Amino acid sequence: MAYNLTRRKFLQTASLAAATVPLAKVVTADTGFVRKPFTPPGSFADTKTATGGICEMCFWRCQIVGKVREGRLVKLEGNPKSIDNGEAICARGNAGVKLLYDPDRLKYPMKNVGERGNPKWKRISWQEAMDECGSKLKAVQDTYGAHGISVFPHGASAKYPMHYFERIVGTHNVSEASFFQCRGIRDTAYVATIGTPPGENVDMPSAKAMLFLGTHLGENVHVSHLKRYLKGLENGAKLIVVDPRYSASAAKSDIWVKIKPGTDTAFLLSVMNYLVANKKYDVEFVEEYGSGFDEFKKGISHATLDWGSKICDVPAAQIKEVAEMLAANAPHVSIHPGRHVSWYGNDFQRQRGLACLTGLLGAVGVKGGFVKPKGPKVKGISWAKGDHGGEHNLREMADKHHYSPPGTPTDLIREACVTGKPYPIKGCVIWGQNPIQTIPNQEMTIKALKQMDFVVCVDVMPTDITMYADILLPECSYLERYDYIKKGTQWNFADTHQQYISARTPLVEPLFERKDSVWITNEIAKRMGYGDKIPVASQEEKVDKELASAGLSIAQLQKEDGIHIQPGKDPYGVPEDFEVLFYNEDIEDNGYPGVPTYIPVEEVPKGYARLLYGRSPVHTFNRSQNNVWLFNAMPENPVWINDESAQKLGLKDGDRVTMVNSEGVKSITSTSVKVTPGIRKDSVYIVHGYGSMNPAMTVGVGAGIDDQRLITKLAVDPETGAHGMRNNFVKLVKDGKVLEIPA
Amino acid sequence: MSEEQQNITLVEIYRFLAQSMRYPEADWLDDTYWSVLTTLLTELEWHEELNELTTPRNNIADQLEDLQVEHTRLFINAVPHVLAPPYASVYAHVDGSLYGPIAEKTKKFYGEKGYSLSQNDIPDHIVYELEFLAILADQDPEACEEFLKILFLPWFPLFQERVLAAAKLPFYPVMVKLIDFFTRQESL
Repeated sequence: MAYNLTRRKFLQTASLAAATVPLAKVVTADTGFVRKPFTPPGSFADTKTATGGICEMCFWRCQIVGKVREGRLVKLEGNPKSIDNGEAICARGNAGVKLLYDPDRLKYPMKNVGERGNPKWKRISWQEAMDECGSKLKAVQDTYGAHGISVFPHGASAKYPMHYFERIVGTHNVSEASFFQCRGIRDTAYVATIGTPPGENVDMPSAKAMLFLGTHLGENVHVSHLKRYLKGLENGAKLIVVDPRYSASAAKSDIWVKIKPGTDTAFLLSVMNYLVANKKYDVEFVEEYGSGFDEFKKGISHATLDWGSKICDVPAAQIKEVAEMLAANAPHVSIHPGRHVSWYGNDFQRQRGLACLTGLLGAVGVKGGFVKPKGPKVKGISWAKGDHGGEHNLREMADKHHYSPPGTPTDLIREACVTGKPYPIKGCVIWGQNPIQTIPNQEMTIKALKQMDFVVCVDVMPTDITMYADILLPECSYLERYDYIKKGTQWNFADTHQQYISARTPLVEPLFERKDSVWITNEIAKRMGYGDKIPVASQEEKVDKELASAGLSIAQLQKEDGIHIQPGKDPYGVPEDFEVLFYNEDIEDNGYPGVPTYIPVEEVPKGYARLLYGRSPVHTFNRSQNNVWLFNAMPENPVWINDESAQKLGLKDGDRVTMVNSEGVKSITSTSVKVTPGIRKDSVYIVHGYGSMNPAMTVGVGAGIDDQRLITKLAVDPETGAHGMRNNFVKLVKDGKVLEIPA
Repeated sequence: MSEEQQNITLVEIYRFLAQSMRYPEADWLDDTYWSVLTTLLTELEWHEELNELTTPRNNIADQLEDLQVEHTRLFINAVPHVLAPPYASVYAHVDGSLYGPIAEKTKKFYGEKGYSLSQNDIPDHIVYELEFLAILADQDPEACEEFLKILFLPWFPLFQERVLAAAKLPFYPVMVKLIDFFTRQESL
């Protein structure tokens, strides 16, 4: 570079203007600017409040408003009109602003001109991206059949594409992480016991006692859920927390049952057997609504307090104390159904146990019990349902997992991908899910992805899985799109009964070339030859049509500050056809225990501890890893270790460690040690969703340890096909030295 | 060259630099573009840069894709990460966010001079800032200096540093050096 030449000098002497090709010739005619008369300060539009937001930093979906100045979102708050979360939103809800303006967010359609897993991205037009998706997916469909396409959806915006691939294209190979690695077992077990998925519908504000099995509210934050819980405590409810760890909930409990992991069903059976044997259950309720009680009574008669005590490693007296506390407060007890329940591969039976305990205590439809809200009806609009037969349904072909959640167990799909049997799966659509982190055994997931003919990912952020896409598409975030209809009732049933309906509307316009899922799906459908089956032309039309079924519209909701409120209905009372199947003959006919049964899990090998994981109140697993505000609130996930064990190992608070599991898999990253008496000696605990290996996550990459990497041993719940993820054992490694965990 | 002509040249250079920072597409990154760039570098006596740029230019089609990959990696999304987001906000605020307060301030500056963006976009992107410098250089040289001082120069060197450190091809390092040359404040 000729530094002796200054700009001034250059401009004075340059003959550029006289050059054969003037500079002006090679620039586009227009700039990105237009003339606009200046509005002098003082008359500047002030910050406006945009209503109609529905949060999506987690699935609870609080109602929010945005403070918008000159098109820029500056702050999020709870919608003051909300009768659910009210004005409150959590840390994650607040940090939505950071997600919106994260420089790492996906901005344009991109094509991978490198290889899967080691991508080279190139920005392309939507036209090219859609042509590529349409033709490649069509080619897979033509060559391998519709079942050659697998779909991994997650979140509200993924429903529309999921329905397209299931109902129109006709593949059964759809697997939602929220079912198979989270709550699916709970829902199908409750359906098989009390005929309905439970949600988190326990009337905690009016409860006299609450039982949490692993549920750690406080670390698991959903605003109106917490309001119910805290109101219950405020009203004097007793709290029983069963957890190997002194969780945030355990810290507020009257009884903390420091249970041995994996034995929860034995604990429930012991409690129930005590209640039955001592006639401390709700005889009248069981007679009226119970079915198969005699078989149940007989089937659990072995579960004495001593039996339970021995298995669960808790005093018999404590099991009795729990049973007595529940009986004394019945029927006004909240037996919390849990949410993330895919733990040990024996989970369906445990969830059946929770539903049976609810019935045994008569805690249904009464104050403090299991009470479903009576919310308003709004009809969903989506692709028309079509019958594609069960011929290629992997679950039916395997004749197992008869209580599988909707869709196909992830495991069966992945197995077919890797082996090509019973048929090849060569197309993959990933929409808002990160199967690298949601599904155990990452090596196998990567193998499944690498053998695909085509992989498309749609997301708002780059995640681990997006590195394996051929085409990567940027979706509007929840702050920039229409989609979800949020409806329900006032959070506390003790208040005047009210119902609300709200619909997600954009708080700001989408930036860059981000598109919504209705647009993207429709464009793909057109190119696959299904243009005539498109149910709605746009997301606005979809939402408007849905609202019309409740006599509302987007315009009307906007007039009502984003939330329509109408008189509600008393939710109490037991539905007429309600039944508790204490013993379920169908379950038995399908080859599983018909009475809730404890199935032991693998014991912790000598020198190891069981790896437990849970939630952080400021993160939604890996989805929020890259959010600077949240990252700063909790930059890593310290590993909890029992204080006596730590002392023997010479570990102290803050020491850096890595982990190695019993199959020799090592964590890539390290974390700090948290020494505490609040965990059993046979277990260690970390918060899930850290240690991302995707370097595109500029903030979150390499921070803390990724538990999923260490979950290599798969327990599959036989009834549901969902994954048990707490059967892996680890040792800690400090300064290169592997530490034997003392028994 | 008269002062007026000098100004015209500067306006054109800013427009040219803005164009150069747009996503590479065949409709502008053509032979004519390269010949203009060559002329500019020759006039500047930047022989080393000229050499670097011309060597890999033998296969234009390949080079376009390479430049697209490079642009995506540096400025949009990439592995190992978005290396040099071309937005003032990312460098002006500790949390490195897009569309921070500085973007609003930039937008306000445009507004005060009687301009706004023609579409809904983030106002502190380098392409907009260079285009705006061209407008100001043409109409209000004093404001041009003010814009450089208050809004452009506080972040550009940080951006430039990242581009120089992360680039795999010579094109963008040459561009940021050119931008630096034509925006740097000089004593009289």
